[in-house]
Amino acid sequence: MKTLHQATALFTAATIVLATIVAGVAQEPGQAPSAGTPATIPPSVVAAADKIANDPQIMGLLKEQSTDAAAKARWNQFLELVRIPSPPRYEHLKAAEIHRRLVNEWGFSPAEVMTRADGIIAGTDTNIVDGLPVYNACVVIKGSYAGRGGAQHYQGQFPKVLVEGHIDVVNPEVLPPASDPFLHMKLQPFAQPVVATPEELAAIPDELSFDAKGRVIENDKYAIASKVFANAKEAETGGGVRIYVPGYLDMMASTSNAFVLAAAMKKHNIRPVYDVWICGTAGEEGKGNLAGVKQLYGFDQKLGTGSNPLNFVANFGLEGGGTVNFVGSYRFEMKFKAPSPRADGPSAPEAMAAAIAKIADVRTPSDLRPDAPRTTYTVGRASCEPPPAPGMSTPSCSLEVDMRSTRKETLNDIRNTIEPMFQAGVSAENARHGRKDGSSEAISLELVWFGLRPAFVAESVDNVAVHAGLQSGIELGVVSSPIVGTGSGSLNDNVPAHTGVPTYQFSLASTAAGAGAHAFWEWGTRGAPAAEVARMHRVLTAALIVAGFHAADGTVVQPAVGPIGKRTREVVR
Amino acid sequence: MKRLVISLAFVVGVAAAGTPAFAQQSGNVRIEFQGPGGHSSGAYGRVSALHAAARTVILIQKALPARSYQITNLTGGNSVNAIASDGLIEMKLMAANEAAYKALVAAVTKAAAEGAAAENAFRGVKPGDLTAGAPATIRSIVKPS
Repeated sequence: MKTLHQATALFTAATIVLATIVAGVAQEPGQAPSAGTPATIPPSVVAAADKIANDPQIMGLLKEQSTDAAAKARWNQFLELVRIPSPPRYEHLKAAEIHRRLVNEWGFSPAEVMTRADGIIAGTDTNIVDGLPVYNACVVIKGSYAGRGGAQHYQGQFPKVLVEGHIDVVNPEVLPPASDPFLHMKLQPFAQPVVATPEELAAIPDELSFDAKGRVIENDKYAIASKVFANAKEAETGGGVRIYVPGYLDMMASTSNAFVLAAAMKKHNIRPVYDVWICGTAGEEGKGNLAGVKQLYGFDQKLGTGSNPLNFVANFGLEGGGTVNFVGSYRFEMKFKAPSPRADGPSAPEAMAAAIAKIADVRTPSDLRPDAPRTTYTVGRASCEPPPAPGMSTPSCSLEVDMRSTRKETLNDIRNTIEPMFQAGVSAENARHGRKDGSSEAISLELVWFGLRPAFVAESVDNVAVHAGLQSGIELGVVSSPIVGTGSGSLNDNVPAHTGVPTYQFSLASTAAGAGAHAFWEWGTRGAPAAEVARMHRVLTAALIVAGFHAADGTVVQPAVGPIGKRTREVVR
Repeated sequence: MKRLVISLAFVVGVAAAGTPAFAQQSGNVRIEFQGPGGHSSGAYGRVSALHAAARTVILIQKALPARSYQITNLTGGNSVNAIASDGLIEMKLMAANEAAYKALVAAVTKAAAEGAAAENAFRGVKPGDLTAGAPATIRSIVKPS
């Protein structure tokens, strides 16, 4: 049996959450002020933002995206992609459809598709994560830099800017059967209550329909689902519907538009200086363990360092947030093993139940103290092996527990509280049967999987990603000051942050209303298409500030950062 | 006093439910729990159907004679980073006769309701509460299987 501490520095899967913390209170002693203080945005970045945001090529792209036809195409593409199931580590179906569309419909050559169906990315040193292939889907907008005389590279890799959103979704847990392979998108009027059970959801009669090629059928149901609203109240009074489908909020509405942006950049011949990679990333949710970004950043989970083998100079996530601090987590999968097949001895399900019941009564630091850093936990999943025969015992049961906090100290507090409860459950069950812990007739405990994502607190907000992220917002009037919030996000960005690559987040989605992320009742209602275009404008501006840009007037906006990306470990090929 | 008498009678009835050696009636039971689920951190504070199921197992241990039941499965949830919206206990009940078996089923049903109630109380929600429009509480149901 492995001890828990033998597993070191594993990064775990992540999902979005923004945890607001009180500025100052959560600041670690002696640490330089970071989030919550103004960034010092260089004049060159301010000028670049103004130049790029108003460039005629950019404006042409946005004008086209502002048409009704483009809005409909974006909406249809989202509906057609979100229905493809994509559990963490089983993203190959969605990745394959993105790959297919990149070449057949979105204007890219096969050489511009940087990911393969088998999960391989040429140039990275990390193509297998947790023993499995990684099903990212990435395309490149080629820059001019490699053609420059004296262009610098890192081990053959010229500089790149990454724009990414994840393509995996918490639900369903596994791929549906081949007889019914796609997710059903149920439509429910706002006048009706949110469904209370999966059975209620399945019983909703109205749903979107798709043809044999996976195209949404534009029937009366589609017309209702496609209505645009500003917010939930308008949707409720205006005949809106909840569209139930896992991934609506988290986060295919944004990721799908990343590929719209990629195709538009290609069509409008937007020419960066550095390459811009636009990726749908795998493994952000559940036990995905951040596999997608680990592949991209060459992240070694045992060392906790990234080699950045593809030489990214900045990272832009599309899950929203605009944060520079990242939630840390510990995750455990523990197995409770019965000693024998006899049914009258200590029971694996009851030992696990004892552990879960103890954990269920835990109060976290932030439960107990309003000024404590936000700290959370849950036993997210449990399962048991079936007894091998009637009258025999359940051989083993496993639980998966998630613990998170915005700060290392409170993360360790919650771990120190919960971790002993695994064994306490075992001991309680053994004691009920008069068995001594560790004996051959006792329940035993085994660590199956351990995930560690250290909490990340940025030492400074003055980096190129934050500058570009903020200034693009200031330029377009959606950000009023160069200040990054003090919140923490639980995002893919944890990997680039711990690799040393600066990162910032946006969203490309427009949703009037929605709820139920990570639950069976996840739903959304379509928001204003104009908001999507405005967000594309900002992301495009930010990415090109960093990457550099060949403007319509023939001038070149130089990249805002040098050509060698940061890393916390060197590549060893 | 009346409540105490009823409770004592219930306990006696359950205690008399018998042991496998004399089991004349047995059956399999499913205890299902349903809750809102949600993001493990973003929706933190919501009730967990899996936590409720585990609480119920502990209550079953206290309420039923040791050899009158066998829990064969405890499952729930879809992902480590999501609050479990579903929980399930599968168990076998063994009693000396039909009346004793019914007493076991009643005890299990009571434990399930109390397990769900304990989880709801821990998170401060009550029947009728909503979270983001969805029912906020854990509900339980006991079914033969």
